[in-house]
Amino acid sequence: MSQSLLELQSVSKSFGGLRVINDVSFAVEKGSRTALIGPNGAGKTTLFNLISGVYDLDAGSISIDGMDISHMPAHKRCRFGLSRSFQNIRLMPHLSTVENVMLGQHSRSSLPGQLFPIGIGRNRSVREAEDALQSAGLNTYPGQIVADLPYGVQKRIEVVRALMAKPKLLLLDEPAAGLNATETDALLDLLTQISATGVTLLVVEHDMHFVSRLCQDVVVLNFGEKIFHGTPQSAQQEPAVLEAYLGTDHVA
Amino acid sequence: MLLMQQIVNGIMLGGVYVMVAVAFTLTIGMLNFLNFTIPALFMVAAMVFWATMSGGFGEGFDSLFGSVLPVGMQWVVGVLLALIAATLCSLLIERFTYRYMKTRYGDATEHAIPLVSSLGFLIIFEHIVIMIWGTDPMSLNSPFGAATWRVGGLLIGVPQLISLVLSIAIVAALHLLLKRTKTGRALRSIAENPDTALLLGVDVQRIVPVVYVVTGLLCAIAGILFAINYRTVGPYIGEQVATIAIAGMVLGGLGNIWGAIVGGLIVGLLEALATYWFGADIVKVPIWGLLLLVLVIKPTGLFGQSAIGKGKF
Ligand SMILES: Nc1ncnc2c1ncn2[C@@H]1O[C@H](COP(=O)(O)OP(=O)(O)O)[C@@H](O)[C@H]1O
Ligand SMILES: [Mg+2]
Repeated sequence: MSQSLLELQSVSKSFGGLRVINDVSFAVEKGSRTALIGPNGAGKTTLFNLISGVYDLDAGSISIDGMDISHMPAHKRCRFGLSRSFQNIRLMPHLSTVENVMLGQHSRSSLPGQLFPIGIGRNRSVREAEDALQSAGLNTYPGQIVADLPYGVQKRIEVVRALMAKPKLLLLDEPAAGLNATETDALLDLLTQISATGVTLLVVEHDMHFVSRLCQDVVVLNFGEKIFHGTPQSAQQEPAVLEAYLGTDHVA
Repeated sequence: MLLMQQIVNGIMLGGVYVMVAVAFTLTIGMLNFLNFTIPALFMVAAMVFWATMSGGFGEGFDSLFGSVLPVGMQWVVGVLLALIAATLCSLLIERFTYRYMKTRYGDATEHAIPLVSSLGFLIIFEHIVIMIWGTDPMSLNSPFGAATWRVGGLLIGVPQLISLVLSIAIVAALHLLLKRTKTGRALRSIAENPDTALLLGVDVQRIVPVVYVVTGLLCAIAGILFAINYRTVGPYIGEQVATIAIAGMVLGGLGNIWGAIVGGLIVGLLEALATYWFGADIVKVPIWGLLLLVLVIKPTGLFGQSAIGKGKF
C-alpha cells in the first residue's frame, strides 16, 4: 500500500437525498495510468470533484502521497501535487494560450513573485509555458485568444495547463470526448509522454479502445459504487461490468 | 485663447474623473460588481485630507503634528491618512458586501445583495462625515497656494498638472499590474471564472481584496487631488464627481480600463467646455446627452465588449 499515490477510503457523497457516491474505496499506484469508467451518471465527475475539492466529502477520506486532503480547500490541493482538466473545457476564453498555460503555474509561485511585471522570474515562466506548449505540439498559437481555437486544440491546452502545476497526479475528465481520430492520437501521444515523466494519470473515459491503449488499470463505477478494479482486458470479461453497460453499447 | 484654456482645464479635470471611472470599471470588470461606495471613498479621502490640513481634527491633533513635523510637511500626513482611511473603508466593503455575493462555489447571480448594501455603505459613510463635520462645504488651506505655470499664455495650475500626470501614471501602473503580473493574471482569471480559478490554485478569498485596495487608493488619490484643485470639500462631493465619472465609464464601455480613461477625459473636457459656453447650471445636459447618443449608436460604449452582464468578463 505504501506505493499508492492516491487513496480513497469509503468515500460517500449525497446531493439532497440522492446518494451519488456510495462507499467507494480504491488506490491508484504511483506512476500508473488508471482509467475511471462507468455509464453516464455513474458519479465519475462527482468523484473527481471530491478529489479536487470542488465538493466536501460526506464521509470517508482521501489522501495523496500519504497526506490526508479530505477537507483541504481546493486551491491548496494544487500545491500538494493535484491537478485536473474538466469534462467541459474550462480555459479562460479571453486569455491567450500562453497566459492560460501560465495560469497553471499559479500554485507554485511565491507571493513576491506575483507582483513583479518584469524580470528573470517572469521571463522564466513565459519560457517555461512556451516550452510546454512546444513539446505538446501546440506552439503555433501562443498569442491567440483561446476562444478562437479548435476544440481539440483547446482540450490539449487544458492538459498542458494542468501540467504546469507540476502535479504528481493528473485527473483528466473525458479528455478524448468530442475529438476526431487524429486529435485523439495526438492526445494519446501527449498523455503517454506525460506519463513517461513519472506523472500518475487518472482518466475518465468512455471509449474502451482509448482506455486499453492508454491504461493498465481500470476502476468501474456504477450508480456511485465501485463494481470492479482490474486490467482493461479482464474488465471486458467481467459480468458485472458488462451488465452495467448493457443497452448502452459502450463495451465493444 | 480662452477656449484653449478651457480645454486645458477640462483635461486636468478629466484626470480626476478618469481615476474614479477606472475604480468603477475595475470592480465591474474583475468582480462583476457595481460598487456604489466608491463615491464615499473619494469623499472620505478628501475630508480626511482637508481635516488634517485645515484643523478638522481639532487642536490637539494639530499641535501634536505641529510639534513633530517641520512646517509645510503637514500635507504628507494628510495624504497618508487619506490613503489609509479610504483603503480601510474599501476593505470594509469587501468584507461586508462582496463576500456575500458568492456562496461557496456557487454562481455569482445574487447581485442585489452587494449592490444594495454598497449603497447602504455610501449613506453610512456620508452620514458619519456629516455627524462629525456637518453638511456645509469646507474650504481647504491649499498646501501649494496658487502655484501656476504660464505656457505660451495658458495658465496651468501646478496641482492640476500633478493630478493629470499622476492619474496617467497610476492607470499605466495598473495596466502593467493586470497584464504582466501573476496577481493580475489571477485577477483576470477570477473575472472569467472564479470557480475554475480556485481549482487552478488561485486563492480567490485572498486575492479579491487586492481589487478593493486598488479601488481605495485610486479614489483616495482622486479625492485628494480634487480637494487641492478646488479647495472646497463636503460630504456630497463624492456623489457629484462619481455621477459624472460613471457617465464617463459607461461612455467608454463597462469593464474596460482604456474605455474609462477615454470616457473620463471626454466628460472632463465636456464639462469645462459646457461651463464655458452655456454656464455652470446646465453642465450635466451635454454630458448625459452625449452618453445617450453614444448608447443609442453603440450600446456597449466606445470600447465595451458585450459579455458584460452575463456574469463573466
Ligand atoms: N451538484 C449536483 N447537484 C445534484 N446532483 C448532482 C450534482 N452533480 C452531480 N449530480 C448527480 O450525480 C450523478 C452523477 O453525476 P456525474 O458525477 O456527473 O456522473 P458521470 O460523470 O459519471 O456521468 C448524476 O445523477 C447527477 O445528476
Ligand atoms: Mg462526467
